[in-house]
Amino acid sequence: MPNFKEKLIRYQYLIRNIRDFFYSHNVVEVVTPSLLVAPTTDVYIDSIEVSVNHALSKSTKFYLHTSPELEMKRLLSKGSGDIFQICQVFRDNEHGHINSNEFTMLEFYRVGFDMHQLIDDIKALLISLGNDDPVKEISYAEAFYEYAEIDILNSDFEGLKNILESHGLNSDYEWIEDIQMVLFVHLIEPKLKTIPVCFIYDFPKQQAALAQIDGLVAHRFEMYIKGTEIANGYQEIQTSKEYRDRFETELGKRKSLSKSIGSLDDDFLDDLKVGLPSCSGVAIGIDRLFTSLSL
Amino acid sequence: MNYSTSQFKNGMKLMLDGNPCSIVNNEIVKPGKGQAFNRVKFKDLITGKTLEKTFKSGESLEAADVMELEMQYLYSDGEKWHFMEPGSFEQFDLGEESMGTALNYLVEQDNCVVTLWNNNPISVSPPNHVTLEVIDTDPGLKGDTAGTGGKPATLNTGVVVQVPLFVAIGDRVKVDTRTNEYTGRA
Repeated sequence: MPNFKEKLIRYQYLIRNIRDFFYSHNVVEVVTPSLLVAPTTDVYIDSIEVSVNHALSKSTKFYLHTSPELEMKRLLSKGSGDIFQICQVFRDNEHGHINSNEFTMLEFYRVGFDMHQLIDDIKALLISLGNDDPVKEISYAEAFYEYAEIDILNSDFEGLKNILESHGLNSDYEWIEDIQMVLFVHLIEPKLKTIPVCFIYDFPKQQAALAQIDGLVAHRFEMYIKGTEIANGYQEIQTSKEYRDRFETELGKRKSLSKSIGSLDDDFLDDLKVGLPSCSGVAIGIDRLFTSLSL
Repeated sequence: MNYSTSQFKNGMKLMLDGNPCSIVNNEIVKPGKGQAFNRVKFKDLITGKTLEKTFKSGESLEAADVMELEMQYLYSDGEKWHFMEPGSFEQFDLGEESMGTALNYLVEQDNCVVTLWNNNPISVSPPNHVTLEVIDTDPGLKGDTAGTGGKPATLNTGVVVQVPLFVAIGDRVKVDTRTNEYTGRA
């Protein structure tokens, strides 16, 4: 089966080229634990629980990491400088032709970079991987103006509900960010299918996740390749208190949806007390990158 | 009966905005930080238009009572087109607005597929290939047998199809009803 072997070798080249890119930029490769004491707090991401050491009568519950983000931020707070990692990550309740319970993630952090510098870094990475397709960069708000004539940042919950109804869509959503997302999926994403590489940046502050907020927007971005979401990145918040607040907000949302709730990762919050250096970081889905770029 | 998004598959017939629709394409979209959605392309079985809707995963839609039955085209009285289901001899009729392009291809006694919604006919699909008779076309050029050129020909249903130059009045020709193209002499 020459095609099968050829594909394995092409994948090997991709991983090798990614490593070469980071090594040549003095970004250090790290490995962090996959077994964590606390599940993710993300409202729409579910950790897979595992139980170990039962036969030793020392039963312990762990959660497979859904991304290496927090463990890598512990390293950053200890002075690691620029770091990257390529690892398997695990998520429950993911199913579809481009979603699965396990996938390969490239996660990296550049100290002193703001969001736009990190986007430039990803563009340089794509070029080093042999992709020289034109790249479009557009803010979340501009994308909504351009493709749907909607003022997404200044529309309130009721206003967005009306827009959903005018498109004949169910408007039974809990939070404004959910409506922003369904409108994005319905009206914007299909338009991105004709664009080779597109960065969408400055998400509405309600979708900040762990990105710095600046007025109505958060310095968060996503990269789409031919309409498929490939990467998600932030200009990172830096203090332990901000992390605790964001985690608690997410846990509150999980609670109101009657989803499983874990404890907060206090060790992480303790480690972060010295603060995260000013940095930006991104997670890139390697399997999707491999398929969509036909590398 | 309702179907949830997890049961959606191509060809499924569902009610949407009061009209029966058929699923053409069903895409699961799960934003990294968001909930899962189904972005679904439908064909409205009454208007024939395609439309796209996005549902949150877990939403459900009512099934449409749609049946596709093989029937024989009997005749037209000018206002209605009459069909018969050969098993039960039950007869159905459709107005011109529901006939669509089937008008161009059906001759009496032909078999076709009639779509029923709540036991009422809503559309007709002609067979993919039909044989029709040429009732008008310009005389062909002598010696042209390769069919490199083409000319319009009016067939016995009234439809006009491009045919090769050698085709003459009275010839029976095969037509692909999906593309309205001549595919050969019968």
